[in-house]
Amino acid sequence: MAFLHRHRWLTPYLLLTPGLAWLAIFFAIPLGFLAYQSLQEGTFEFGYSFAWAWGNYWEAIDRYHEQLVRSFLYAGLATVIALVVSYPLVYWIAFRGGRWKNLFLLAIIAPFFVTYLIRTLAWQTILADNGFVLDTMRTLGLVGDDFRFLATSTAVVAGITYNFLPFMALPLYVSLEQIDHRLIEAAQDLYASRLQAFLRVTLPLSLPGIFAGTLLTFIPAAGDFINAQLLGSPREKMIGNVIQSKFLQLIDYPAAAALSFVLMAAILVAVAVYARALGTEKLTG
Amino acid sequence: MTDTFTRRELIERAALGGVVLSLPGVLAACGGDSGSSGGGEQKLADTLDFSNWQLYIDYDQKTKKRPSLEEFRQKTGVKVNYYEDITDNAILFGKVQRPLAQGQSVGRDIIVMTDNTRFPGLMISKGWVEKLDKDAIPNIKNLQDALAHPSFDKNRDYSLPWQSYMTGIATNTKLTGGKPVTSIEALLEDPKYKGKVTLLTEMADTMSLVMLANGDDPTKVDDASFDKAIKRIQKAVDSGQIRDFTGNEYTGPLAKGDLACCFSWSGDVLQLVSSNENLVWNLPESGGDIATDNMLIPKGGDVFTASTFMNYVYDPKIAAQISVGCSYISPVKGVREEARKIDPKALENPLIFPDEEMLSNVVIFDAEAARNQDYIEKWQALLGT
Amino acid sequence: MSVAVETVGRGRPGALARAFRFARHHVLTLYALLAFSYLLVPIAIVVLFSFNNPKGRFNYIWEGFTLDNWRHWNAYPGLTDAMKVSLEVAAISSVVATALGTLIALALVRYGFRGRGATNLFIFLPMSTPEIVLGASLLALFLNLHYATGFVTIVIAHIMFNVSYVVVTVKARLVGFDRHLEEAAMDLGANEWATFRKVTLPLIAPGILAAALLAFALSVDDFVITYFNSGATTTFPLFVWATATRGVPPQVNVMGTVIFVVALSLMAGNILLQRRREGRAP
Repeated sequence: MAFLHRHRWLTPYLLLTPGLAWLAIFFAIPLGFLAYQSLQEGTFEFGYSFAWAWGNYWEAIDRYHEQLVRSFLYAGLATVIALVVSYPLVYWIAFRGGRWKNLFLLAIIAPFFVTYLIRTLAWQTILADNGFVLDTMRTLGLVGDDFRFLATSTAVVAGITYNFLPFMALPLYVSLEQIDHRLIEAAQDLYASRLQAFLRVTLPLSLPGIFAGTLLTFIPAAGDFINAQLLGSPREKMIGNVIQSKFLQLIDYPAAAALSFVLMAAILVAVAVYARALGTEKLTG
Repeated sequence: MTDTFTRRELIERAALGGVVLSLPGVLAACGGDSGSSGGGEQKLADTLDFSNWQLYIDYDQKTKKRPSLEEFRQKTGVKVNYYEDITDNAILFGKVQRPLAQGQSVGRDIIVMTDNTRFPGLMISKGWVEKLDKDAIPNIKNLQDALAHPSFDKNRDYSLPWQSYMTGIATNTKLTGGKPVTSIEALLEDPKYKGKVTLLTEMADTMSLVMLANGDDPTKVDDASFDKAIKRIQKAVDSGQIRDFTGNEYTGPLAKGDLACCFSWSGDVLQLVSSNENLVWNLPESGGDIATDNMLIPKGGDVFTASTFMNYVYDPKIAAQISVGCSYISPVKGVREEARKIDPKALENPLIFPDEEMLSNVVIFDAEAARNQDYIEKWQALLGT
Repeated sequence: MSVAVETVGRGRPGALARAFRFARHHVLTLYALLAFSYLLVPIAIVVLFSFNNPKGRFNYIWEGFTLDNWRHWNAYPGLTDAMKVSLEVAAISSVVATALGTLIALALVRYGFRGRGATNLFIFLPMSTPEIVLGASLLALFLNLHYATGFVTIVIAHIMFNVSYVVVTVKARLVGFDRHLEEAAMDLGANEWATFRKVTLPLIAPGILAAALLAFALSVDDFVITYFNSGATTTFPLFVWATATRGVPPQVNVMGTVIFVVALSLMAGNILLQRRREGRAP
């Protein structure tokens, strides 16, 4: 302890080392290999060779910008909807959940125990063209006769939203639960209405949670492929599907690798812009 | 806790395989006579690791065992570790290519891949499969003639068929006024079915059917016929006729009544009919296609034991047992007679025992075209990727 | 409280006003109820169809009630083993990832150091990498190290992708943490370690727990990375995906229901136990 006192500067590095070492070995090295692959050219049948093939990147952007944009759109929509849906729920758990808070948190991730496929099959049963829900909506005149939910962009976004809801809810909870209720009471004592207290006290204090939740939802959702695969038609395919196709069917590993880096770069740029917009100093301490 | 091989076991296995393969060669070279397995000690291993597709073998509900594998064990003492972990050719290839490319074993003696995809041919051309020990497979003579010389493995040196299946049209007669859909034209262009049709993601199966409807020959694909079929499908996609391209996932929407008709594989419908009696399956008027799943021995697998197993399942009696048990088409000659003894009713099922007329109405997709990178790119573009 | 302030000096409010206030007060609870229903409605379908009696192999349409699937819950070979493996992997990987990630989060939020910004961005990379290329590249690493894939490699992979999620989640908690509390503790004579143990840790514990839950959920549901690095080991998602080609058996629904019920019961039991213990303390 005394040693650490004298060498304060060491502490952060010591804290970082185990986790970063793990990531360095099991993520950074594979990523390096991927980068190497992205600059190769050739075909699988006759072999690849390293050739500083920056053309792979250009081709990735050129041919698949439509899917890239679509991915960001779907992920963005899903993130916003997830935020709107989760916030009141998480607020309720944090402020009214009492001693059962942890139970409710567990209930939020409970759908993950039955695997993605089973969850989606269940939704497909509920939202089948001739299922109970759509039949009722048709009877009530809410939708036309040839309306369908599945194999549309709505279904894909809904799928992404549903499956990433815990990623939004849990970080939000973490931040909301921390808020000292007395601050809100104080605001109300100072004649703020409930809405004003929320907007001026609660919401700003929950901003770290919103920041974390939106990132944990948007980033993986942008690279998602499975929702578009099972719930979308060819017109709804995302960049994740293209990368799958390059890897599995076309066995074009350089293209898959280059596309992946393009996606990652795009995400990082978006994250940097977003963080700047929200004001990073307040959010990352 | 795990079933993995340690590094030592992998090396030992590879070494054993190497000895088994090279010893006959050495002896042959010494003795000057070719083809004989020499005096090499060919021992059966204790276990055989066999990866296959789901429900692709006979299975007894009561005993929870697979009779053909149990009998194999009794006959030879070899325990078959049967893994039903193959879901898709491309996904399987994606996983095994890296270990095989680095000369490492994938922990399997037999895997099964479909012949109208690029993958079996790719495995062979890359040298990632072992040569079969034909001396251990005298029953290879029972292989049906039509399957004896496929273009990706002309002398059946590396592969042997497991089961076959056909691609046709499944119809939910409730949504089509009681009649099955039998023409590709109706499926692709009849506005009555708009948004209630799916095609298969499998290029060979979908393209075969569409090319036949165009009057072209899927066994000899050229750019013109390929593009023509792509164009036709693209039109149907753009007009909203085609809801989606699916793998097996069409089964759910089909059973639930979301689909009027779709391209479908023969084996699935037999099971779906019990959930929805309005479902029927038939080949299109213009013809369907037939594909075969093949057994391959990945590098590092035990050749002798795997070959012995292959010989065992090419016995017409066992082949009939398997075919009837899993409801797929057997590649072995003489299965009809044996099936009569096991389950005569199965003989009436054209999806397990197609008659001559049906067999003349299906084609095998051009294997070269299945490996053509340009065609695959065009196909994937059609799928939106 | 505010309710008392409103009624003093006004006389009892009318029934309508009372009803309105009741609704307003409980609208949030009503919303929470709806939101939970939305979250859990697929689970309801899963539970329902575990009682289905399909004649064929596909469990898509309701064909009749039966308890057979429950009676023969172990009828489908390999299902329970796969679930066991998944739970073990998830338990180990979530604990380790939470530990590693919490340490990183502490470093990032509380200390300024060279490379802090870069580390912040680096943490986002694993989440942004598409699983298929990440899984395949990780497999390449294991192969080059001649390390056989199986249970251990699955755990390694899961820890790897979980760390980022833990870091971001715990950071959200740490950012709002009031350092004055720590200062007060130290002013009162506690050394750094005791302060951390008795003040900091309990206050950020909900954040750590939430991160651990998230990591657990991610691990138990992962398919692509697990597929590439599993060797011959099967986890629950791998198992279910394989059965999907010919029809998911109802026993999978049974297993899902059991896990769901058991997890919730354990948590509820734990809470009740704590309440008892607190009740007994003087």
